[in-house]
Amino acid sequence: MIRLADIPVRIEPTPLVGGLGGGVPAILSELASLLERLAKAEEPAAIDLRSLPMSAQDRVELRRALGEGEVQATLTAEGISNIRETRVPGVWWVEHHDRNGELIAELIEVTRMPLILMSATDEIASGASALREQLAAAAAARAP
Amino acid sequence: MLHGHHGELTVGEMLRRHGISRRSFIKFCTAAASAMALPPSVGLAMAEQLRQAPRPSVVYLSFQECTGCLESLTRSFAPTIENLIFNIISLDYDDTLMAAAGEAAESARTKAMQDNFGKYVLIVDGSVPTGAGGAYCTAGGRSAVDTLREAAKGAAAIVCVGTCSSFGGIPFADPNPTGAWPVTAIVGDKPIINVSGCPPIPEVITGTLLQLVATGKVPDLDEHRRPKVFFGNTIHDRCYRRPFYDQGKFAKSFDDEGARNGWCLYELGCKGPTTYNACATLKWNGGTSFPIESGHGCLGCSEPGFWDKGSFYAAQSAAAWGKAGEVSPRQVLEVTATAAAAGAVIGAASAGVSRLRQHRSEQHGIGRESKGDE
Repeated sequence: MIRLADIPVRIEPTPLVGGLGGGVPAILSELASLLERLAKAEEPAAIDLRSLPMSAQDRVELRRALGEGEVQATLTAEGISNIRETRVPGVWWVEHHDRNGELIAELIEVTRMPLILMSATDEIASGASALREQLAAAAAARAP
Repeated sequence: MLHGHHGELTVGEMLRRHGISRRSFIKFCTAAASAMALPPSVGLAMAEQLRQAPRPSVVYLSFQECTGCLESLTRSFAPTIENLIFNIISLDYDDTLMAAAGEAAESARTKAMQDNFGKYVLIVDGSVPTGAGGAYCTAGGRSAVDTLREAAKGAAAIVCVGTCSSFGGIPFADPNPTGAWPVTAIVGDKPIINVSGCPPIPEVITGTLLQLVATGKVPDLDEHRRPKVFFGNTIHDRCYRRPFYDQGKFAKSFDDEGARNGWCLYELGCKGPTTYNACATLKWNGGTSFPIESGHGCLGCSEPGFWDKGSFYAAQSAAAWGKAGEVSPRQVLEVTATAAAAGAVIGAASAGVSRLRQHRSEQHGIGRESKGDE
């Protein structure tokens, strides 16, 4: 059976302009504006990469343009998510996969830290009481 | 608007009880928002809003249906992500899924409808027969049409899952012996969303439900009340075989060179050009494939009256279709007869069967039981 990849439809590479492919300067320009807004007003934002008509070439160019930063986080929650800060501070590349390894969402977040990484206030409180209970139980077990 | 009360457990607490973390839920809402072409901020907002809210009450009624829609929803590829919806909503009645049966089940339904009057989401699959006083579909001694009318009174919104409840589907097809109708023909005064498809794609069902319960608002709908975000494009608009259509490269039979090279299936009956659905982008079985990618033309299963639009294997003709959904049976037979004369043996056979069926229904009269002679 013929697979999609076997069908000879050739992707014409987009002409390079200043070293960047077709749609990439537009995305970078949007990211720059969002970063300026973040710097001024502390307002985070995100771009859903799956909503943009990007070619395979564009995606490669975008990754290259943004580069890799110092932080790589792996989230294991109903599948793996990769959250990496790019070379541009405040620009995070987020890939969400489900349990079968399928990519279910891919976004570029413009934020100090993606919300999904932070611990939640309500969970912190209940975590504290759980820890106290654990300590109390351990103390009771040790008691003669 | 939509929230009921179930021991005052919020959605977040319910999820935690089932071992689903806050972060998993954020992932789920982000993915769902992405699938619905909503901005990521909406996904985050949905997650936060839902987590704090009490679980919305949902009543699921099944009438003249094959259960394919529910199977589509529950047999999803990545079960936890898709079935998270069952932890978000409180599914207070579903005769296929619930453990209770008989009187216990029915009283659970009436109690849920009373306790959450005006606030529950009513999901309906299957068409509603009105022939013989509604006797063709009864449960617990009550006809489908009566049960639907009663349930609709206290519903905040109605979601029709599948082509049968949205447009009548297969029971509605010529000669419609049970007098089947879609929900919109029975209920007039409530917001109704049609999630059509035979069956619909699971992500389309969960995405629509999620958006409805998270925002409390009905999404943008097309003229057939289908969410535009999933039903805004035709299959043809997004089909990966479009370059072949544009170049005039068509498969002529299912085993020829063109078919093996993945050429356009228009001449083999593909209804992609007049069918609105998300199959070409979201695809089926977690993005695995969709009918055209697997080598079979689109059946048009999310459109009204698709069972009566002539052969699934005869090419569409612009003369017969005009606007999708407005075709007379007479026109269909004429086109099918022409297509049959032009060549395909399959076309001839189905034209013959269609003509025979039309003749029979004219003889017997529509509405009388068919006695299995079809």
